[in-house]
Amino acid sequence: SECLLKRFLPITHYKQYPPNVSKIYSYFECRRKKASQFSEVVFFGLQYLLKKYLIGQVVTEEKIQEAKLFYQMHFRQTVFDEESWRKILEKHDGRLPIRIKAVPEGRIIPRGNVLFTVENTDPEFYWLTNYIETMLVQMWYPITVATISREFKKILAKHLKATSGSLEGLDLKLHDFGYRGVSSQESAALGGAAHLVNFCSTDTVAGLLMAQRYYGCPMAGFSIPAAEHSTIISWGRGREKEAFERVLDQFSSGPVSVVSDSYDIFNACKHIWGDKLKERVMERSQDSCLVIRPDSGDPAETLIEVIKILEECFGCSLNSMGYKVLPSYLRIIQGDGIDLCSVDEILQKLSDEGWSAENIFFGCGSALLQKLNRDTLNCAFKCSYVETNGKGMDVYKQPVTDPTKGSKRGQLSLRRNSDGCLETIERGAGKPEEDLLVTVFENGSLVQDYSLEEIRKNARLQDEEVPTLHNREQEPLHIINGIH
Amino acid sequence: HITNSTPPNTSKVYSYFECREKRTDPTKSRKVKYDKTVFYGLQYILNKYLKGKVVTPEKIQEAKEVYREHFQDDVFNEKGWTYILEKYDGHLPIEIKAVPEGSVIPRGNVLFTVESTDPECYWLTNWVETILVQIWYPITVATNSREQKKILAKYLQETSGNLEGLAYKLHDFGYRGVSSQETAGIGASAHLVNFKGTDTVAGIGVIKKYYGTKDPVPGFSVPAAEHSTITAWGKDHEKDAFEHIIKQFPNVPVSIVSDSYDIYNACEKIWGEDLRSLIVARSADAPLVIRPDSGNPLDTVLKVLEILGKKFPPVENSKGYKVLPPYIRVIQGDGVDINTLQEIVEGMKQHKWSIENISFGSGGALLQKLTRDLLNCSFKCSYVVTNGLGVNVFKDPVADPNKRSKKGRLSLHRTQSGDFVTLEEGKGDLEQYGVDLLHTVFLNGKIVKTYTFDEVRDNAQLKESELNVLLD
Repeated sequence: SECLLKRFLPITHYKQYPPNVSKIYSYFECRRKKASQFSEVVFFGLQYLLKKYLIGQVVTEEKIQEAKLFYQMHFRQTVFDEESWRKILEKHDGRLPIRIKAVPEGRIIPRGNVLFTVENTDPEFYWLTNYIETMLVQMWYPITVATISREFKKILAKHLKATSGSLEGLDLKLHDFGYRGVSSQESAALGGAAHLVNFCSTDTVAGLLMAQRYYGCPMAGFSIPAAEHSTIISWGRGREKEAFERVLDQFSSGPVSVVSDSYDIFNACKHIWGDKLKERVMERSQDSCLVIRPDSGDPAETLIEVIKILEECFGCSLNSMGYKVLPSYLRIIQGDGIDLCSVDEILQKLSDEGWSAENIFFGCGSALLQKLNRDTLNCAFKCSYVETNGKGMDVYKQPVTDPTKGSKRGQLSLRRNSDGCLETIERGAGKPEEDLLVTVFENGSLVQDYSLEEIRKNARLQDEEVPTLHNREQEPLHIINGIH
Repeated sequence: HITNSTPPNTSKVYSYFECREKRTDPTKSRKVKYDKTVFYGLQYILNKYLKGKVVTPEKIQEAKEVYREHFQDDVFNEKGWTYILEKYDGHLPIEIKAVPEGSVIPRGNVLFTVESTDPECYWLTNWVETILVQIWYPITVATNSREQKKILAKYLQETSGNLEGLAYKLHDFGYRGVSSQETAGIGASAHLVNFKGTDTVAGIGVIKKYYGTKDPVPGFSVPAAEHSTITAWGKDHEKDAFEHIIKQFPNVPVSIVSDSYDIYNACEKIWGEDLRSLIVARSADAPLVIRPDSGNPLDTVLKVLEILGKKFPPVENSKGYKVLPPYIRVIQGDGVDINTLQEIVEGMKQHKWSIENISFGSGGALLQKLTRDLLNCSFKCSYVVTNGLGVNVFKDPVADPNKRSKKGRLSLHRTQSGDFVTLEEGKGDLEQYGVDLLHTVFLNGKIVKTYTFDEVRDNAQLKESELNVLLD
């Protein structure tokens, strides 16, 4: 893996701190922002960074030499502090004298709270804290993907509960389609794993491998065979039926997804699936259902029209909540144009037309893994406490030009207050026994090892997060009880 | 991963990649059009993921197990992969033809094609799709970066009379704002196709390893303070922090973030009065570069320039615009994207400030706030051979004509007037259209044509004609 020494520009910062600094203590948070749609975040991904980049011996003589040369050229002058890095090698066997304390992975934390803290454990290496800042700030990504994925889950849960009475199958409802739309293989792996904190369905295989390697989960997610446009169009325009039939033949024993909009989605549903291949479709069982996939046009409108056509051709039944469900051998997956907004709209429209959320699965690509950035949750890493000449001082920034960019002061801890709410205590005033931050990394060693199983437990939806939608039977009760 | 659903007796699958044109609703006009794209990044993918022996018996076993668990069924094409291992020693029997890297090509043209070279491995073409489609990212970063270069070139030319320093006007601040280390390397290298200033050093590693340059390094930076190196001194010691840092770097440009508490006070009192003598002693090669980092970008820049202008009187250049003395400059690195960049340089011009005074840093907008949809990057099958017969194939969804794909075997040509045109259905074979601009870069596991980063930069340079259009 690449040399930690050659990664970062804070290479010049050691010269900039006050003389006789012996400790730099920094922290990471997702700053609070008014009117943000995300009021809380899922903490995830630190273990990956620690295991991949920070544990063990990260400094060697060879790497020191390489970095020295590299920075000489990059800055066109000598800025690399060769001696300090060599001291880490000599004094600590190349292991980083750093302590990181963090919220347990998978925990749901309100915005504006400390999520992890970083400090040097050896006074000589005060500059290390902010040297590793750039890498640690990339925590914004797995945190943001896991958070958005969980927001999807809340929306899906709401509609599933309201239209079917249960949450069965919830964790297969949102499929990760993001592999091709993400910026690199590594991002695919990390983002893919973050989605698997909340769901079990994915086409981003790299995420599975990441969960296996870094979070101890042998198989974190599942998929079903799926045709894509090339496997349909390669038969030629007049032979879409033969193409569909071939897919059904090849995958007869499990569910299979078939993209059906290569030429005309409505024609494919009405005349091919609903007529020419109708018997083949009806032969299938719930365990080997056909999942039809539209992939163009306005998502909600297309879906309503598709489901109406399928109702005409295959019929439907009513579930215990009075909503319509297609026969169990037939389902739909919408994987185009899906984001938090559209998934809510689509399920609302379907429910308005009397359709249960059981009928439909969703696939999400870039909105899940790529269409997000560090500003989505205002992720920031800031220095809050230093020790100079043996004296501790709380430090912070407070730009007059933007009060929301102010940072926390002093040593921090996270606790649950008497109302049961999480809050951050600043200025070192927190009681250690109440602190929810746990040491996860110390002097080159990993101190905690979370499994995906634990993380999923921490991140699961709580009962109060799955609101029951108002319906006619419920409203009178509210008024009678005086709650309104 | 669906290998068995192509028609029986398929012996070749041929696919291509383009940045589709999008005929948008005129009422929804985007500010930036992105008419042309910079082709970049294929060489990285070929080198890192596709060349040489990519199949081994261990990998086949591992994949088989993973897929069985993942699909709860035996869908893995063990036979196909074993065939590649045995016949080709694990090398991929694929041919990829592409336009030269760095080429600037209008939307809607073929950029590269992929076809299987062994009839038994027809399925391989679409297996490599997912990894190849990730080229959307370096293409999009390089294209968006180049569009910003055009904006900067226009205003620099207009307000100063030349393009000196253009290559350093947009600095990559994106390292902490990207989704992974790997993304940082790819994205940073893509920005360096157009510029030379970067803090995302991972990009330099990518360029050296996968492209090569004649210069020792393709990108540079300057020492810079960050908030912690200022706030660590304590609220009442901002001046001490500034003084210490500026003295640490006497002979090179040094950038000092100045908004930790009050940017305007820092500019007026600390830089403008308390430490003024230290600043005026600096040479033109080693200016102090003041960095605001909060507030509305345009308003903050204008106010900072106004305050600095009072304390360090500017001169008027040959175009009639104000330039601060050479020992002091400004870098705006917060909230910079292609739209705010345009707003800031336009605002400065209106207030008669030359663009010589300023450089920009961009982070999330440069390297992260981009998706595959921005340039409609798409990989589609256009030709198959079944039962010995070639068939042109395509998709044409009734609900979205923008999603229609090209047909048949494709080639890219220049017309007599110099425009680019993609020929479909194998028409490019006919002599009259001249040479195909797509070259074979990858064949059966080997990279057969490479481009140096210098060539890439050359191909992507702003053309005289583009500059003339901008300045009209």
